[in-house]
Parts: sequence; C-alpha cells; structure tokens
Amino acid sequence: MTAPRYYPLIPGAEFPGDWFKGRIPRNIVVGENTVIDSSFSFQHFYSKRDAGLRVGRDVTFWRTQLAVEERGEMRVGDHCYLANALLICAERLSVGARVMIAGGVTVADTDFHPLPPAERLADAVAVSTAGKPGHRPPIETAPVSIGDDVWIGFNATILKGVTIGAGAVVEPGSLVLADVEAGARVGGNPARVLEAGAGP
Amino acid sequence: MSRARTHLDGDWFSGGLPGNLVLGKKVYIDTSYGFHAALSQRDVGIRFGDYCGSYDRSTYVIGPRGSVRLGSYTFLNATYFYCNDRITVGSFVMFAWGVIVTDTWLPLRSTAEDRRRVLAEAAADPERRLPPSAPPRPVTIEDNVWVGFSSVVLPGVTLGRGCIIGCKTIVRDDVPPYAIVVGDPPRIVRTLEPDDDEGARERAIQEYAHHL
Repeated sequence: MTAPRYYPLIPGAEFPGDWFKGRIPRNIVVGENTVIDSSFSFQHFYSKRDAGLRVGRDVTFWRTQLAVEERGEMRVGDHCYLANALLICAERLSVGARVMIAGGVTVADTDFHPLPPAERLADAVAVSTAGKPGHRPPIETAPVSIGDDVWIGFNATILKGVTIGAGAVVEPGSLVLADVEAGARVGGNPARVLEAGAGP
Repeated sequence: MSRARTHLDGDWFSGGLPGNLVLGKKVYIDTSYGFHAALSQRDVGIRFGDYCGSYDRSTYVIGPRGSVRLGSYTFLNATYFYCNDRITVGSFVMFAWGVIVTDTWLPLRSTAEDRRRVLAEAAADPERRLPPSAPPRPVTIEDNVWVGFSSVVLPGVTLGRGCIIGCKTIVRDDVPPYAIVVGDPPRIVRTLEPDDDEGARERAIQEYAHHL
C-alpha cells in the first residue's frame, strides 16, 4: 500500500498508513481543508495549553516539525504552506496568513539553553539522563511574530524576539535576529536590508 | 497520469520509488522517503548515473514538468532538490548535508498578490503542489564539484567544473570552474589547479573502483 501524501489534520487522530505511529494532539484547533503528512510533526509537541496549536484553513504542513514546549502556544494563519521546516516554540510563535516557509528553515522563540556558564552547566545536568523532564534552569524566550504574506526562503533562520512585518521577503540563507520592516527584503548572515519596506 | 511505484527491499517507508526514476549501475538509495513528493510527469523524472548514492533521506520535490539528471559516481547526503523545470548534475559531484538546490524561487520583485495566487493554487490542489512562484531557471552543476553543508544553490546558476562551494554559502550567480567560493554574499577565495583530466579520471577508476 502506498502511503497517502496528506491527511486532514484532525485533533486526536491516528492516521492509517502513517509511517510514524503517533497521534495528533487533542489540544489543537484546526480550520477546514488543512492537511499534514504525518503525526511525526508532533513528535516534540508537549504543550499543555488549551490550544497549544491553532491553525487556520487551507494550510499545508509537509515534513515540518511543530515543536512546542509545555507553556508554548503556536499560531498559523489561513492559506499557509510550510515544507521541510522546523518551528520551535517555548512561549509564543505566531505565523500570519498566506505565509510560505521553505525547506531547511528554522524558526525559534527561545535561546534553548542559558548563556551564563554556571547555568548552562546546570542545564546540561538537567537535560541529561540524570535529570527530570520539565525541571530546568530559566531560559530566555521572546515571542516571534511573522506577518501576513511573508515568504521565508530556503535554509533561513528566524531567532527569538523577531517580528517580521507583513509582505516582507526573507531571502534564502538569511539569519534574522532583528525585526524586519513590512514589505522589506532581507538577506545575509546576519540579515540586512536588501530592499527597504514600502511600509505596512 | 499514474505510474506504478517500485518498492525497495526492507524500506521502512512504504511510499515506493516513482515509476519514471531511471537508475544506472549499482545505484544506492537508502529509502523511498525522500521521493514521496517527486511528482514529475516527464518520461524521466530523475536519472541517477552509475554508482551514485542518495542517502540520509535526500529529498526530491519535483513538479509535473520537472526533471533531475545526475551523472556517475555522484553522491547526495541529506540533500534537497526542488525542481520545476531542469536540474542537471554531472559526475563525481559531492553534496554535503542540508544542501538545497532549486530552479525555483521568487523573482527579485514579487508582489503579495502574486504570492497569494501561488498559495491559493496549492491549497486547491489535492496533491498540494506549490506552483512555481516565478518561471523556473535551470541549474547546472558540472563534473567534480563539491557543495558544502547547508549551502543553497539558487535558480539559473551554473557551478563550473571542479569548483568547491564552502559551507553555508548562498549561490546566486555562476561560479567559475575550479574556484573555491564561500559566504553570503559569496566571494572567491582561491582557484584550484585544474588537474582532473582524463588521465586522472582513468587512474582514479583503476585504483579505487573495485566493484564495477
């Protein structure tokens, strides 16, 4: 039997023919005609919020990881297309409507680990096999917000605290650490403005 | 048009390989997982030359009019191809992990309206194929090129014979043969001796090819 490419994204569902024997989380809200290729996307979805993920209609998720920590809330607007990307949310990660996120992209609203050496050492112990899940030193997070009609190119990276204004384009390979003006085009590592925005 | 898919023995993924995949001698493919969105309707969707290897879930996302051709002794480690028209790769080419090769991206100037249309079409397609966001521009990678990890090779680019693309390089323009190019924006840091002639090729096969 050939696996189907997409399944309707339904809270709590198990997909027949899914190569990954997982289940879609129940605490998600999904609009019509939104599809996903496998429950593997939720392998690292641990949100305990009422709606850990809220997705609009007509969205396509292909081979995309939706990694959400316990207190995290992820939002994806209507008509988005995410393929081969990695979205990591410890607090809040919002994607607007009609956003395209291309292959190899990482979006993260967290630093992942503490910066000061003593705290980082502590985190290494906390995440080791000697530690306990959920008990870690404080880690800096800052919400990421991607506006409507934004396209994010292959292998780009969006780091914590970034707001990308509506209609902006992030060129392939960009490393974005600062806000991007609506309608602007940015590129490079670190990302700089290639074409200024025309405003919102 | 529907084509039967062939299944690899022991494959953990049940999708199978597309019917219009053409394999040379002794081609190694680790799993069909990366071929699930290879949806070319051409006679040849993908052609691997002799002794090629495609592994670590290298992925081929190919639109109905796309075709990917690779020469011999070429390997792809966790490499991603996005093809709506034509990507041509030569022989003895090395792709490191996370490399992206694409004949399709946005034009320099695109409007939100243009982009919206692409996404609306994708959502209306049962196969959720993303139509090209600009006319695709073929990519050519000549013999004996080495593409460093996490690099991106963008539409219309030719990578000249023998060149090396450093890791995380974003290639927007042609690269001359035997150049070493690094960074974003890329710059040429060195040019290599072009010593990979016919004699070198013959000696290489004499010495290192045991399983022809």
